[in-house]
Amino acid sequence: MINFEKIFKRYPGNMDALQNINLEILPAELVFVTGPSGAGKSTLLKLISSVEKPTSGNIIFENMNLSQLETRDIPYLRRKFGMIFQDNKLLYDRNCFENVSLPLAINDIDGIDINRRVRAALDKVGLLNKEKIMPISLSGGEQQRLAIARAIVSRPSILIADEPTGNLDKEYADEIMNIFYSFQQVGVTVIISTHELPITPIKHKKIHLIEGQLRDQINNVPLLS
Amino acid sequence: MFHYFHNHLQAFNRALVRIFSNLGSSLMMFLVIGVTLFLPSSGLLIVENVSQISNNIKYDAELSLFLEKGIKQDQIDFIQSALNKASIIKKTHYESKLTAWDKLQTKLNLNPLNTGISKNPLPDAFFISLNTFNEKKINTLIDDLSTIDGVENIFFDAGWVKKLRSILYLLKIGLAFLGAILIIILIVVIGNTIRLQTLTHKDEIEVSKLIGATNSFIQRPFIYTGLIYGLGGGLITVLTLKLTIEIFNKASINLEAMLGGTFILKNLLWQQNLSIISVAMLIGCFASFFAAHQSIRKFEIFK
Repeated sequence: MINFEKIFKRYPGNMDALQNINLEILPAELVFVTGPSGAGKSTLLKLISSVEKPTSGNIIFENMNLSQLETRDIPYLRRKFGMIFQDNKLLYDRNCFENVSLPLAINDIDGIDINRRVRAALDKVGLLNKEKIMPISLSGGEQQRLAIARAIVSRPSILIADEPTGNLDKEYADEIMNIFYSFQQVGVTVIISTHELPITPIKHKKIHLIEGQLRDQINNVPLLS
Repeated sequence: MFHYFHNHLQAFNRALVRIFSNLGSSLMMFLVIGVTLFLPSSGLLIVENVSQISNNIKYDAELSLFLEKGIKQDQIDFIQSALNKASIIKKTHYESKLTAWDKLQTKLNLNPLNTGISKNPLPDAFFISLNTFNEKKINTLIDDLSTIDGVENIFFDAGWVKKLRSILYLLKIGLAFLGAILIIILIVVIGNTIRLQTLTHKDEIEVSKLIGATNSFIQRPFIYTGLIYGLGGGLITVLTLKLTIEIFNKASINLEAMLGGTFILKNLLWQQNLSIISVAMLIGCFASFFAAHQSIRKFEIFK
């Protein structure tokens, strides 16, 4: 589904953020990208969603080489992904419903469908009763769940989450992770970057990065770590 | 197609929400556009009114043909017949030197004995009304007439109305320049406002880009905001012009006795009012498109 072939990424004036990365992500896989701060986890996720472009190498997704993607095609590529960020990037001048409906407006979905799909997404993350509330009055965990609702509302086949539990305590973090696992169970590819690998009974792939280099790529990690 | 219009409707709604949520500054923007456009529009109003007056004045271009002092009657008759043949001549009036001298003495109450003028100093003359203002044809006629024996001088009198029209023409050019400069100022002011708005919506723009919005989708509400600014400003200009005309005309009627006449300003045509509003909307649209396009490109997250 997604193939990295000899990927290098260098920022101006810095060392290589990623060096010679070769990996493959299969459909409906649960992938954890782990490593310490500065290991290149966020850069790797940004390369998948074309927020960044690799300095060299090829990223193949659905027979497209993302390294050679035209700038005008990038918005249409990004619509295939659901993206969740550590700082959740919610719009605080819009209520929960309006935040979640934003991707649908971008995808040209009409009004009736928007209502139905936004409510379904909010229901999925347990925020249906808070659709009129402004995000600022939600707890940290609820805000992150709202960000997940926004990511899943357009029914992407791939969810990309950049340290989604980084700012949350354990109880909220487990709650968020369980939501991701539930999506993977219904066939969505879920790619999560995290400092530490969570304890999970679900089969997953672990991609471990240190200083921009791929140290480990372990498929089908045993049911319990 | 439905999605396309739905998308534009959504962008328009978003623009309206932005305008109403910042109603104070939006009204200020309407005023800035309205007052700025009022300057050239009021100039246009004055020029249009004065042009109408000058167009209503009927006048002919005239030639004055002065003949040589010792010219014989035969030659005068020949010139008369030559003039009758010219197609651009509407009518001719012959004034003999004796008639002219009598008229002058009567008019100025002169007595030749007192003034010491023993001889009639005036020449015989033809005063010719033309049926054209075409300078090329008139100059050809002057050239032809000046070759006839006995013709001393020819004067072409364009008349004060023509001078007035020339002044109005110059005024129109001046107004066009003023208008152009003010339009540039408006583009800068509206563009700057829209640029600042993109900065206040920076988070929204970045998130929209991250989840797949195209630049044209993001800049659409900003363009509609500029368009609404233009509409508001244009309406203020038209209403202010109307108010000015009312006040001026009332004052003119009140001062009729003192001035011995009235000068009533006429409203611009509805097409002209519509043009003012359309120009304001176009300026708003262009300025916001340019500013939003530039600004949103700077938020490009793709590296």
